[in-house]
Amino acid sequence: MNTRNQILNRIKFAYLGIVIFSLAIVLRILFLQFFEKQQWYDKQNQISEREITIEANRGDIYADDNRLLASSVPFYELRMDLKTDGLTEKIFDENIDSLAYYLSDLFKDKTKTQYKDDLIKARLKGNRYKLIRRKATFIQLKALKTFPIFNRGKYKGGLIIRQENIRIQPFGNLASRTIGRYKKGRNIVGVEGAYDAELRGTKGIQLMQKLSGGIWMPVRGGTTIEAIDGNDVITTINVNIQDVAESALFKQLIKHDAHHGTAVVMEVKTGEIKAIANLKRTINGNYKEYYNYAIGESAEPGSTFKLASLIIALEDGNIKLSDTVDTKNGEIEYYGQSMKDSHDGGYGKITVQEVFEKSSNVGVSKIITDNYKSNPSRFVDRLYQMNLNEKLGVEFRGEGAPKIIDPTDTLWSGLTLPWMSIGYSVQITPLQTLAFYNAIANNGRMVKPKFVKELRYRGETVKRFDTEILNPSICSKQTIESAKEMLLGVVERGTATNLKNKNYKIAGKTGTTQLANKSSGYGQNSTRTYQASFVGYFPADDPQYTCIIVVNNPSSGVYYGNLVAGPVFKEIADKIYASSFNIGKIDNTENLLADAIPYSRSGYKDDITYVLNDLNISKIGTSSKWINTQKLDTVVKYFNNRMVKGITPNVRGMGLRDAIFLLENRGFEVTIIGKGVVKYQSVSAGEKYNKGDKIILKLI
Amino acid sequence: MRRNSNILKQIDWVTVFIYILLVFFGWINIYAAVYDDNHQSIFDISQRYGKQLIWIGASLFLIIGIFIINHKFYSFIPFPVYLLTIFMLIFVIIFGREVNGAKSWFEIGSFKFQPAEFAKFATSLVLAKLLSIYNFKIYKFKNIITITALLLIPFILILLQNDTGSALVYVSFIFVLFREGLSGNILLIGLLLIVLFILALFLNVLNLIIGITLLSFIIFWISNRNIKQTLIGVGIFILSGLLIWGITLLFEINLLESLQILLAVLLSSAFYTLWLIRNNLHKTLLIIGFAIISISFVLSVDYIFNNILEKHHQSRINNLLGIEFDPLGAGYNVNQSKIAIGSGGFLGKGFLNGTQTKYNFVPEQSTDFIFCTVGEEWGFIGTSSVLFLFALLLLRLIFLAERQRSAFSRIYGYSVIGILFFHVVINIGMTIGLAPVIGIPLPFFSYGGSSLWSFTILLFIFIKLDAHRMELL
Repeated sequence: MNTRNQILNRIKFAYLGIVIFSLAIVLRILFLQFFEKQQWYDKQNQISEREITIEANRGDIYADDNRLLASSVPFYELRMDLKTDGLTEKIFDENIDSLAYYLSDLFKDKTKTQYKDDLIKARLKGNRYKLIRRKATFIQLKALKTFPIFNRGKYKGGLIIRQENIRIQPFGNLASRTIGRYKKGRNIVGVEGAYDAELRGTKGIQLMQKLSGGIWMPVRGGTTIEAIDGNDVITTINVNIQDVAESALFKQLIKHDAHHGTAVVMEVKTGEIKAIANLKRTINGNYKEYYNYAIGESAEPGSTFKLASLIIALEDGNIKLSDTVDTKNGEIEYYGQSMKDSHDGGYGKITVQEVFEKSSNVGVSKIITDNYKSNPSRFVDRLYQMNLNEKLGVEFRGEGAPKIIDPTDTLWSGLTLPWMSIGYSVQITPLQTLAFYNAIANNGRMVKPKFVKELRYRGETVKRFDTEILNPSICSKQTIESAKEMLLGVVERGTATNLKNKNYKIAGKTGTTQLANKSSGYGQNSTRTYQASFVGYFPADDPQYTCIIVVNNPSSGVYYGNLVAGPVFKEIADKIYASSFNIGKIDNTENLLADAIPYSRSGYKDDITYVLNDLNISKIGTSSKWINTQKLDTVVKYFNNRMVKGITPNVRGMGLRDAIFLLENRGFEVTIIGKGVVKYQSVSAGEKYNKGDKIILKLI
Repeated sequence: MRRNSNILKQIDWVTVFIYILLVFFGWINIYAAVYDDNHQSIFDISQRYGKQLIWIGASLFLIIGIFIINHKFYSFIPFPVYLLTIFMLIFVIIFGREVNGAKSWFEIGSFKFQPAEFAKFATSLVLAKLLSIYNFKIYKFKNIITITALLLIPFILILLQNDTGSALVYVSFIFVLFREGLSGNILLIGLLLIVLFILALFLNVLNLIIGITLLSFIIFWISNRNIKQTLIGVGIFILSGLLIWGITLLFEINLLESLQILLAVLLSSAFYTLWLIRNNLHKTLLIIGFAIISISFVLSVDYIFNNILEKHHQSRINNLLGIEFDPLGAGYNVNQSKIAIGSGGFLGKGFLNGTQTKYNFVPEQSTDFIFCTVGEEWGFIGTSSVLFLFALLLLRLIFLAERQRSAFSRIYGYSVIGILFFHVVINIGMTIGLAPVIGIPLPFFSYGGSSLWSFTILLFIFIKLDAHRMELL
């Protein structure tokens, strides 16, 4: 009986065991499938589906001749998962030596032993994300993939590759401050910062699903917003002129051991900045682009400001160039403060023209105080009327504000007017001075300095920037002529005769400023710092370019504007003059030929080709049915105007016939304003549309 | 001739019916697990579901064969079959093909076959044969050695193939031995060792050993109710400890603290037993034995785990115990599997609608992790049905085993139950994170000819034996 009971108990035990285990499992499943259901469900979606943002490609920055100034290139961050499943002890031990050898051979940054120790340590620590190399090139990546362990593939070898785009400037330091340095999440200066919104593009979103083995696959029919690449920015910078400007400035800075300097070249008619160089001395005596002095540094301009003073006196009819001024012995006192000319002994009685040519402080201040002492507001208002107290409004962050106080200001004193007339007690940036001189060269029309010509998307112009006029006429024609005469005189007979040459004429003004020292004012000789500058335009008889050179704190003992800043100006002007067709009347035949190429529209290729064939004009560029054209010197260039189903076509530049044909065929209701060539379309090219959508075309 | 005409009536159709349901449902789920838009036909034999159908068809022939063969034959073959299996197990280690790190497959042309699957069946037969020998006493030392040897040989051979999962299945024979009279204490000791094993991984070894020592003193005190003797014991222990510590310092022996404590326990035990020789020796020795064996076991577990087990075994165990969480590594399968089952909910996502299943998130989903497919696509209804079927099958088999007249049939029946039970619990347990991932198939469900056939043979020989239960073997 005892045995029987025992056996019975054991059978019961077996039954019970099965039931208990089954219940335990059912209970667990119950938990999984009921109470934790949502949690696991969410986890599934979280693991298996993810919206991935697709980074748009950042646009490139180009020079005016389409040379690349800044672009993004891919680099690879390489890491290693040392605990990846397939990487067994055996494989690791057998291959670590050769892997370390190859790595050391490829990157040459660590020895074989260092690599080996590093990797072994990382494996012991269970590092799943060990950094191998932060910035590897594609070629290095390709080589690395053939190395032992890594050649076993992603899961068995543990190689983790992350692509990263790095911004590079193919011309290195060239205009780098103005181009700007792009780095994610940082404040960006220059063109990169000002046009960030355009360059950045639009991020796309793609719903991705994870497949076994950690592969992500786009979900068919899932939400997808395609990334739109950033626009390319075409700057006005000319690489050749920029190069000259930079090297000329550099040479002069070295020669005079200056603290910093800037050189800016501007095209007279358009305001396009062809070159902008900013160099600052580094600790080891070299010069680098650190700060955009031309735009950001507002300082006392000194003698270059005398032009504004005399223009006001001329404009108000208070003086004529031939009037005489008595500069006496070159010294004058205002309220006990003496003002001296740089020429000891003075010039005596000289004409207004000579006052400017010799840059006589006494002369200029005397003219202004004689005429405006009783009504200084008149003088200051005149300055304001010439936009000298306003920022130019350039698109870059950190434009320095000019500072010209008016007589109601508490800082105004009897000394202010005479000193202001010779460029002290006022502050203005080099770029603002440049814009003012450019207005003289441009017959009174003041234009805003332009850094960017146009935006392009995949080679097609998206937006063109017109020259902005700040002031259509800063003074009368007559005054302009007088100003030009004075400026020419400075080089022909005055303080900058060293710039004179027989090929072409330069007009400009030197400036030598004694900078106010923050602690000791203008005082002691020992702490005196100077700023030498030269601003002018060339050729004087048909101004094409205006240029300003500012050299801060030359410490070689020479500080006169003509000697320190002048040579930089001359070197730039010489180079531009020598290499440019358009300056002077050298090559009128070329120009005539260029004019022989007619302006052509965009539109239907066969039509355009027919016309051009008839006119015997050659065409370049293969293309699709619809094209955009560009007038080159001797030929017409074709560009593809791609027509994509469902996407609004680009009809800008087309005649009405072609534009209407394209749009109505697509089901648009077209409204037309004006006549001529399509300048604007209300639905932008590249947008999706539906049949029956309305579109407005503006023709000019 | 009466016998032959009656065999269809004698067959236990309940079991057969459950078997058919399981196999069919398994096939449907394999179809779902490897479903592929390009091969939509469930009969496409280039795909796993098509192949499984072939294995199922072949099983039918196996079953017919099993029924045709005279039932007495099965009681004659155990030893030859066992020897043949051992031979094959050795052979496969030398000539086998490596699949997933385990060298356990024979490959003859396109035909692959895993001897370990059949070793379970052979061992069941030989165990039944041995235990059913007339007047066999299980508690005799000689017999225990024999049984241990019979179980251990295939176990070790399979372990050598690097197929830990299949080897662990041999644990299920303890269940059979228990039914046949093995002392309950052995199960208790087994349980204790499992607890110690887990604790050894969880806790600092040194703390654990100190704990065991303290526990031993407390047990001693409770069982003897003699505070004086207990305190003397503690005193001797502390003195021994100091002595050993002093010696290591004196001779500058570099000895682990845990080993020092073990030595202290040994030494103090020796003194103490000498002193206690007069009274209560038996009980004291037992407690001392407990302490020494536990400490040694903990130390060896610690050593084996850190020095002998391979990394992936370590991390699988650590993952299961929650010591380590690594959803991308060893925990990946389980995590994905839990997601699949958990997201199925009550009704499931519907046949062929499981996203985890469709996109192959769960590795080995048609074989070891087939239960996920059930969970995801059929929900709780599906999982509980499958479990219910298995539980029903096992309980039915116990019922059948107990109605056998011959010990051979009964013991064989219990082996079948044990093996199936182990597979079901561990396999389903590992898909829901209750058991370590040791890679054994779900009987009748998982894809694979070897596995399906071996379970079919295992089960149907028992059904055949049951059909002849009225006749003595």
